[in-house]
Amino acid sequence: MIPDTQTREPVASFELPDMDPVTFEVLRNALINVTEEMALTIRRAAYSTNIKTRADFSCAFFDNQLRCVAQSFAQPAHLVSMATIAPTAIREFGIDRLRAGDAILVNDPHRGASHLNDIACIAPVFVRDARVGFVANMAHHVDVGGSSPASLGISRELFQEGLILPPTCIAREGRIDENVLGLLLANVRARRETNGDLRAQLSANFVGAQRLGDLASRYSPSEIAHFCDELIAYTERWTAHDLSRLPSGSWEAEAFRDDDGFTDEPIRLKAKVTIGDGRISLDVSGSSPQRESPINCTRTMTTCALAFVAKCLTSPGISVNAGFLSRISVTGPDGLICTAQRPAGVVGGWETGQKLAELILLALQPALPEIIPASGKALIVNLGFGGQDPVRGEYYCYMETIAGGGGARTTKDGATAVQTNLHNTENAPIEEVELNYPIRIARYELIEDSGGPGRFRGGLGVRRDFVFPDAPCTFTALSDGRKFAPWGLSGGLPGACARFVLDPQGENRDLPSKITMEVPRGGCVSIRTPGGGGMGDPRKRERSALEGDLLNGYVSPEAAREFYGLSEKEAREFFGRVRGKG
Amino acid sequence: MTESNGNGYRVGIDIGGTFTDVVLVNEQTGSVGVVKVPTVPADPSEGFLHGLNDALRDFGVDPKHISFLVHGTTIATNTIIQGHGAKAGLITSEGFSDILEIAYQTRPVLYDIFYDKPKPLVPRHMCVGVPERMSPTGEVIVPLDAAAVESAARRLLASGAAAIVVAFLHSYRNPAHERAAAEMIARIAPDLPVVTSAEVCPEYREYPRTSTAAVNAVLLPKVAPYISRLEERLQERAVSTPLHLMTSSGGIATSQIAKRFPVHLVESGPAAGVIGASFVAEDLHDERLSRRILALDIGGTTAKASLIDDGMPALADEFEVGAAAVATSTAGRGQGYPIKMPVINLVEIGAGGGSIAYIDPGGALAVGPESAGADPGPACYGKGGTHPTITDANLALGLLNPEYFLGGTFRLHAGLAREAIEREVAGPLRTGVEEAAQMIIDIANAKMVAALQLVSVRRGIDPREYALVPSGGAGPLHAMAIARQLGVSTVVIPPTPGLNSALGLLATDVKHEIVHPLFRPTLDIDRNVFVDLLKEMERKGRQLLGTEKVEGEGIAFLHEAEVCYAGQNYPLRVAVDPAGDASIETLSTRFRELHRSRYGFASETEPTMLLNLRTTAIGRVERPRLNRLEAGGVDPADARKQVRRVFFGGDVECPAYDRERLKAGNEIIGPAIIEQMDTTTVLPPEASARVHESGSLIVTLGAVQ
Repeated sequence: MIPDTQTREPVASFELPDMDPVTFEVLRNALINVTEEMALTIRRAAYSTNIKTRADFSCAFFDNQLRCVAQSFAQPAHLVSMATIAPTAIREFGIDRLRAGDAILVNDPHRGASHLNDIACIAPVFVRDARVGFVANMAHHVDVGGSSPASLGISRELFQEGLILPPTCIAREGRIDENVLGLLLANVRARRETNGDLRAQLSANFVGAQRLGDLASRYSPSEIAHFCDELIAYTERWTAHDLSRLPSGSWEAEAFRDDDGFTDEPIRLKAKVTIGDGRISLDVSGSSPQRESPINCTRTMTTCALAFVAKCLTSPGISVNAGFLSRISVTGPDGLICTAQRPAGVVGGWETGQKLAELILLALQPALPEIIPASGKALIVNLGFGGQDPVRGEYYCYMETIAGGGGARTTKDGATAVQTNLHNTENAPIEEVELNYPIRIARYELIEDSGGPGRFRGGLGVRRDFVFPDAPCTFTALSDGRKFAPWGLSGGLPGACARFVLDPQGENRDLPSKITMEVPRGGCVSIRTPGGGGMGDPRKRERSALEGDLLNGYVSPEAAREFYGLSEKEAREFFGRVRGKG
Repeated sequence: MTESNGNGYRVGIDIGGTFTDVVLVNEQTGSVGVVKVPTVPADPSEGFLHGLNDALRDFGVDPKHISFLVHGTTIATNTIIQGHGAKAGLITSEGFSDILEIAYQTRPVLYDIFYDKPKPLVPRHMCVGVPERMSPTGEVIVPLDAAAVESAARRLLASGAAAIVVAFLHSYRNPAHERAAAEMIARIAPDLPVVTSAEVCPEYREYPRTSTAAVNAVLLPKVAPYISRLEERLQERAVSTPLHLMTSSGGIATSQIAKRFPVHLVESGPAAGVIGASFVAEDLHDERLSRRILALDIGGTTAKASLIDDGMPALADEFEVGAAAVATSTAGRGQGYPIKMPVINLVEIGAGGGSIAYIDPGGALAVGPESAGADPGPACYGKGGTHPTITDANLALGLLNPEYFLGGTFRLHAGLAREAIEREVAGPLRTGVEEAAQMIIDIANAKMVAALQLVSVRRGIDPREYALVPSGGAGPLHAMAIARQLGVSTVVIPPTPGLNSALGLLATDVKHEIVHPLFRPTLDIDRNVFVDLLKEMERKGRQLLGTEKVEGEGIAFLHEAEVCYAGQNYPLRVAVDPAGDASIETLSTRFRELHRSRYGFASETEPTMLLNLRTTAIGRVERPRLNRLEAGGVDPADARKQVRRVFFGGDVECPAYDRERLKAGNEIIGPAIIEQMDTTTVLPPEASARVHESGSLIVTLGAVQ
């Protein structure tokens, strides 16, 4: 964002890594490559669509002081979760109890992980009896038990959301502990996929350890340890440098999530963002207390939202490691909707996290008016299905999330059909879904007029319709965004809200955003995701851009008249030209 | 086509961004003629003909005697990158007409608020859905609505479609609806190119398949006329041999195939370079050096690494056009337009002669990916560039001769290079200019080593068993240091590293890949059915090659089965040998072995799936025999130029040689510099070079100092 390396503005005073620049650069790239290769391995070896296709996982390397040194960049939502849970889990398990070939699993949100579906797998790396550090990865499992398929349910507390794993040894000296694995698999719905995915996670660590071994054959453990110190200090210096270039001060904003799934009472989110002294912090005091609901967010998840914004406001070359994270903090009391404590349910917490990321940006708008965009879809849109698969004769379980509109930017329209902020999972190819599950996808298209009108228009939301042709299905939507729309800025209008519709060609009934229900055989659920908010007065939109919108069906003629001030004369001229062409 | 070396001339014409290179090989004598003419971006066929005419005139060749003509072109890539593709229409299954715009639904660049996905190749108003539906097993769920297809086609034609893509769900299993729709469109518009997704790419996952077909469709109205124009001009010149084009996978295809499937040409240019490197090694006819090659091309802004086994470059099965580079991992996917087709696996990194060195705000020295380009270029060009580049570092170390850059046609300013390094790197790092220059080179080399490791180590291959073949102007400058870090002991410096691409055009085979989808549990496949299927694939291959007049002895087949555990997504490719044990059990066993070595585990009990059978039909083309260098003694004294000071960790008196005057058998002991028109070879201490009769230098690296 801040194009430091591009312009190479002179930096006031250089503090240099205490290390030969060449070795430093070689090791820096080598460690990133290790985590990237782990990512490649997990994806290729995994079984569930969520991991193998939608890439809902991340990989990292930790040094002997349990500091996060390097991460692969798949999911921003894992940025802080992994850096928090890995050291906590290793310490709790006992750092010296871990031997070569051991691996521990952990997913407890209230120890610092994400939601229960995100299982972290952590392994020490030894080279000739000396431990050089730890490799870890975190992957979103399709099901970890709990009240409904895909472990997505409208829960009141964590215990309803699935199997809680404290730091648990899954492998000893290279051998899987069948007792632990058996216990785990007995508690989940998609045994075969979970089994395959866990092995993929172990594989990724195996490959990571192998590559680190190659590295450690060229550099001594003390050299690597020294490098980690220098890399973290270097990253912190660069982060501080970039944050110091932003205006300093404190700014506040508030926003709401619709409801908690049990009551209709909106959830207040308050953010006070402070930048100064090369740091950025977020005070969430004044936000609603935690609810008996799955929509709570832990402090770790809230920190992810702040880390995402900080990453957007600093140089792309800065790695997310302990040095970067040391400049970021979340304050405010425990027990709020965004600092929830045990036994709060958290499986839908990322919906709150997504809104928080938008809220932090909104708070910073007065400070950075040229950079801050209007709100994007601000949702994950968690969908889970499951039931008996009559073709394969097994219990199936499937989850996905759907893109929406990005907020309009200060210089251009919002992005259409993208994942936003903390979230970046790919869509599941329709052909792959239909080949592997008793699901048919009937529609996957953009929604006309869903982008918030503005001089720069919000990106369009997406409609995806699921049909269950072969068998009834237990379906869960765990989302939000039906009432409070993505906001526009500077005179731009909000984007369209989300809708969850049952049987659009028949009963056409609007569903709540948080629901578990039985859909009969042949039934259809239609999901409509929000568009992004607009930027600036829509009547000032370039006429050529508006004509493009009309031609491509992004904006309807009615909306063009109502919001963009398209006159009858302009409309006649435009449609005359289109017909003339056509 | 596969005729043996006879009386004719083989001609390779490679059109690059700046120059069009023509290489002409006399099949009888092996003599090589080279002509370079400026590329004509507005009409590349003009540069093509101009170059060909010059070559024929200069070497006194009758066009009738051209026996083999291959063309490498960037027209397909440029058409996409510059947004000059034809206006195409897209007809999809109803409800899915936004497939190209939704793409993967991700942001390939995560933390840039201003990032946009690439614009869809077909705009939304040119995309129409029609009622029809196939099941994943290929049964009709909703019949094709003929009236809807017709009205969609008419609407798209009225909106100016120059080509129409038909892409329906599950057409990889049953293409009947796509074919029927294409026939309906053909009745309405008999001359309009119609592309169906399953004929271009019969593979599952709708977005990459539709994207591949869309790329083909926007290229077709641009590339097919270009090829036809070339053919006409060749005919006018009385060239009777058929025109062949280099494809992304490093094979060649006839103009007929290329006109129908121009999407095959997208990586034509880079592929030719890799094949050229492979040929340089092959031409040594050395069992040890010719078979296993790492190729590294270092240009002005990027370096490209690839790997070749037995003349077969390693392939990837998907890439993106319009993206900065072929995506090698999950990160960054979606920056370009996906093409699901075999392509030479190139890892491209932002490190070339013009890459800029700087200190980042955290205090680390970094090199690239930003480049000074050709204008203003490196500081030493004296054209106003102030940032130090890799070229400046090479000059400051004395490795480049300021008076003999591009054969002395261009003077370099060492003082400017030193100033830039001093100001932006050496000063802040509190070190000397030479030391700083060495660090810049070392960091650039480390990046290139990493790229070479990506194509080797990451794929389970030990690079130490390979020879490195550098190309591009800066390749031989860096190659020895890179080889040392990789543990590679032999480097082969081509006679003219700048001509690899044009030469590569003449050194490959006709290739076609045929895919047969199975999507069945491996154990459900009957042994006899499988054997019959292999025969059927070979029959199809022969048929395809037959249209190119390749027959008989020169034909070979490679069969690979894509196998995975039921539920996995990314199959492993297992070689199938119909002559050997082609049983299903062997296939499963080999798959498990491969899985274990790749991922560290393999289940013995879980069922495996066979997704696709892939057959590559190869029509062997005999390699040209190039003429040999005059033999000389061991002593290279005749080629010696002057002695100059070079920095190899300290100042060293280093002799320089003129490459053109070297004779076969000459041996040069490092440290030494070997200069020629298009490159400079740096021979560090503890290295020695032998001049091979093919003109290549074979460099042997001794123990690391």
